Amino acid sequence: MTGGVNDVYLVGCSRTAFGRFDGEDQDLAEQAVRGALADCGLSWGDVEFAAGGTNGETKPDNLVARMGLTGIPFVTVKNGCATGAVALGTARNGLIAEQREIACVVGYDNHARGAFSASPARYGIGDWYGATGMMVTTSYFALKIQRYLHEHDIDPRILGHVSAKAFDYAASHPLAWRRTPVTVDEVLDSDMVNDPLTRLMFCSPDAGGVALILARGPRAFDLCDKPIRLAAVELRGRRPGSFEVFSPWLSPGVRTSPSVDAAAAAFRAAGVRPQDVQIAQVQDTESGAEIMHLGETGLCAPGDQGAGYLTGDYLAGGRLPVNTDGGCIANGEPVGASGLRQVHEVMTQLQGRALGQQVPGHLRIGFTHVYGAPGISACTVLVAEGASS
Amino acid sequence: MGLSVVDPSLFSSLDPVVLQGSACAACAAHVFPAQGTCPMCAGIEVAPVPLPTAGVVWSWTTQRLAPKPPFRTDEFAPFSVGYIDLGPVIVEGWLLGKTDWMIGESVRLALAKAWTDDGETVFTYGFEVAE
Ligand SMILES: [Zn+2]
Repeated sequence: MTGGVNDVYLVGCSRTAFGRFDGEDQDLAEQAVRGALADCGLSWGDVEFAAGGTNGETKPDNLVARMGLTGIPFVTVKNGCATGAVALGTARNGLIAEQREIACVVGYDNHARGAFSASPARYGIGDWYGATGMMVTTSYFALKIQRYLHEHDIDPRILGHVSAKAFDYAASHPLAWRRTPVTVDEVLDSDMVNDPLTRLMFCSPDAGGVALILARGPRAFDLCDKPIRLAAVELRGRRPGSFEVFSPWLSPGVRTSPSVDAAAAAFRAAGVRPQDVQIAQVQDTESGAEIMHLGETGLCAPGDQGAGYLTGDYLAGGRLPVNTDGGCIANGEPVGASGLRQVHEVMTQLQGRALGQQVPGHLRIGFTHVYGAPGISACTVLVAEGASS
Repeated sequence: MGLSVVDPSLFSSLDPVVLQGSACAACAAHVFPAQGTCPMCAGIEVAPVPLPTAGVVWSWTTQRLAPKPPFRTDEFAPFSVGYIDLGPVIVEGWLLGKTDWMIGESVRLALAKAWTDDGETVFTYGFEVAE
């Protein structure tokens, strides 16, 4: 049961603190890679394949200038919020297709305060759209969750519970950014940004780096007491009927989402069901996103999220602990690192060595989900197997 | 006519005001603004079409903070934005006259002042409560 030749495992991981950062972007990447190698007792010379991504201006493959010129293939990824998951999938595929054994995956970014302004031309839209104040990401999130709450009859106060949960988890995580607990009422009473979303419901762009070491086949069990099998990593794009950022129009037909498609594909590939998942991460760019993504991934029946938050389903002792490191809301979103932060958190939870609040009990199946512009989603299924815990 | 607008290609008529979309001959999908191909079925037989001027609020929000450039305004005040279900297509646009809305409210198309350019008022489209 352990280490089939085409099974790929996570054997090492490391993340930096997330938040504001004064150094160079690749300082974050280097720190994460060195940490992940040390985590499984390897050195850069052991790495046979690498994949990495950033949304910034540096070239990830130039990390070899810091790590060592070993001549390995290093694939660069730039897929917005899905960058980390795509890099992870690329490394997995590289190990299998080329029958290599050890891969390194890295994601990092160092965004300036208030980054993420967008130009219409980049999205193929006329200048009028930006000039009339409609090219605003917070507005998009608000319009989307406003409709979702209406269609599924969810109390808008649940948005406050999402952020309060995030800050509560982050309070016990040494590397999260915003670690001060905030009450539901404080979230709801903070400044309204775009109805129904308030200031404390949004994540902010910041800095961070994460790296993972992958191993194929039985070798994984020599490197790690409890390797975590990468049972699925699936990327999907939008189909007609999806509701994406910067859309002057929507179709009135059946609503679709790349998140629905990516999650279904990941569960199918892994041979598990959403109800088998014991720990999860879903994209929480703002608190409404977490509510929608719990429904779209199948982790919760659409409309039941409200009851889930009120009864503590998503807390450490609940049915399905979600975003246990505080998610994007409390960690911020360095775009290139964010998806790998999710995998890092679920991996360490499955191994019983979470940096923050450890979920109790024997965890076997984890799940991660990212979603971003211009309508892409990537999901992973992670499985703890082999060595007893 | 002679009215100055944010982008003439958005309109099939200014008096009365009507938005211009495009419709696909193959799948009947309507999109806004008009474009030359159909993103729904990848069809290329697409023609301009005037859109209905009345609909209902499908979703809404109010922009409480001034957007960053390229947003243009003479003087910022919070304004509402919504998606309006016009039947064949759901169109995004300003919601005029108030900042607190309900999904399902009936609205109709109107022109609204966007900003002033060299003393001349530039208009965009929006939707106001239909009596
Ligand atoms: Zn068509």
